[in-house]
Amino acid sequence: MHLHDLTIKKFHQGLLDKKFSAAEIVKEYYNRIEVRDREINAYLSLAKEDAFLQAEKTDIKVAKGESLSPLDGAPLAIKDNILISGQPATAASKMLEKYIASYDATVINKLKSSGAVFLGKTNMDEFAMGSSTETSAFKKTKNPRDLERVPGGSSGGSVAAVADSMALAALGSDTGGSIRQPASFCSVVGLKPTYGAVSRYGLIAMASSLDQIGPITKTVEDAEILFKTMAGVDLLDSTSVDFPKEDKHELTLDDLKNMTIGIPEEYFVGGLDQPTSQALDNSIKLFKSLGIHFKNIRLPHTQYALSCYYIIMPAEVSSNLSRLDGIRYSRLKDSNNLLDLYRQNKSAGFGDEVQRRIILGTFVLSSGYYDAYYSKAQKVRSLIKNDFTEAFKEVDMILTPVAPTVPFKFGERIDDPLAMYLSDIFTIPVNLAGLPAISIPANQKPELPVGFQLIGKHWRERDILTAGKYYEQAKYIT
Amino acid sequence: MSEINKKSLEHLADLARLEINPKKEEKFIKDLQSILGHFQELQSLNTENVLPMTGGTQMKNVFREDDQKRDKTVETRNVVDAFPEREKGYLRIPPVFK
Repeated sequence: MHLHDLTIKKFHQGLLDKKFSAAEIVKEYYNRIEVRDREINAYLSLAKEDAFLQAEKTDIKVAKGESLSPLDGAPLAIKDNILISGQPATAASKMLEKYIASYDATVINKLKSSGAVFLGKTNMDEFAMGSSTETSAFKKTKNPRDLERVPGGSSGGSVAAVADSMALAALGSDTGGSIRQPASFCSVVGLKPTYGAVSRYGLIAMASSLDQIGPITKTVEDAEILFKTMAGVDLLDSTSVDFPKEDKHELTLDDLKNMTIGIPEEYFVGGLDQPTSQALDNSIKLFKSLGIHFKNIRLPHTQYALSCYYIIMPAEVSSNLSRLDGIRYSRLKDSNNLLDLYRQNKSAGFGDEVQRRIILGTFVLSSGYYDAYYSKAQKVRSLIKNDFTEAFKEVDMILTPVAPTVPFKFGERIDDPLAMYLSDIFTIPVNLAGLPAISIPANQKPELPVGFQLIGKHWRERDILTAGKYYEQAKYIT
Repeated sequence: MSEINKKSLEHLADLARLEINPKKEEKFIKDLQSILGHFQELQSLNTENVLPMTGGTQMKNVFREDDQKRDKTVETRNVVDAFPEREKGYLRIPPVFK
């Protein structure tokens, strides 16, 4: 079986049917990484020894006829801001270049218990700040679908690894679209869970009221497997929630036909490039052909989401990153004067975008500006959340574009922060409202990748995952 | 936008313990001004009786007994080992006082 055709589901079946061993597949992935990653630059570090050890454990289970979890032996790529004990966790920053994680993130713990294999850590925008993976201090990841274009970001390395068959699936983090936008840019599936559904313990924090860890996969079915393994309340993350799981049964197509998908006017007014708007039209048609109902809705405060986000997020960034001071984690410069030591280390360790956001966050929180900016943005956040609450009284899900454009070329936006920020205009409101959303490739074989976004009600990942699964089935038939 | 200029940027950088590269200062100011300019659209929104949203999906305090939940011996040692400078199991930092 070619790596290209492999999904978590097929890999699991292949192990059960003894078509291959886990160790063989891990070896194939490393062979492919050796050949391809010189061009793509998806990985920052590899963990071969641990990966083969874990794969062998799975193979012993198979040999003994023991039962396997759906993720046993599955070779995954992990974004470099998620901690795996004993492995580097640089967050693609010089500040943490030498840092080795001293404990496992809760999601890693859970995946380890399920027997998953970690191939290595992937490139990203520095501290997850960016929409193109260009702010990484170490390398530029290329879009495997078109090498002149960015893979999107900030989880660009994870997404490129999955898109180029250098991992079976991957983990990313999503603060304003960092899983969904690159997934759309590279034609893979990306899920941002409800805020609180997945523990953030062991995720290097960017903006704590917005961050969520989620899966990046080839199919919606695979995303569901990873999500179910990772979700649940965690004593080590007090914002994680023991959310209701009363709907245990699988949704059927008939259940879906009784649901309504909302189309928000505000997401379709101008600004969409032609391939994106064409792909969205096709997606809606395909859902309609399945017998699913649509309804036009309004989310009137959408246009304010970008400003709201770019006040709240940097405010939290400026607080979260203050711990990276040259005293803890790493020391790049030495000085006998403590104040100079802070200054020199922070300036040497942080790239331009990180410094810009720290300054911006410091500004909106500073005396005299707090009310006009930070406090105002928190109120606008309420209005944006209320928009969704109202809309979800009429519809069960909401369908929107993921990004206004197809993937852009290297260098196109990196010098214009505002243009870069606009890449996330359709994904940001979801994080502000704490909702779950999934990015799904619209076409089977696109010239340039385009995804659409399905937004669900709080804790109703099941709805968007089910709709996505039926979409995928229909997409491959038509 | 006059809220960000050379002087206020220096003050903010000082608060954040950053040193802005002098060569990049001009572009830094320009970028921040354009971003803050974009934010002005929020001022047109009436938020008079709106409560601020401070984050989270379930705004509930989480309490537990104040006791040791798990054996952290190994984890603590690993964290100490990850510190840039250490001595006899202690964390070593540059002098704070002269």
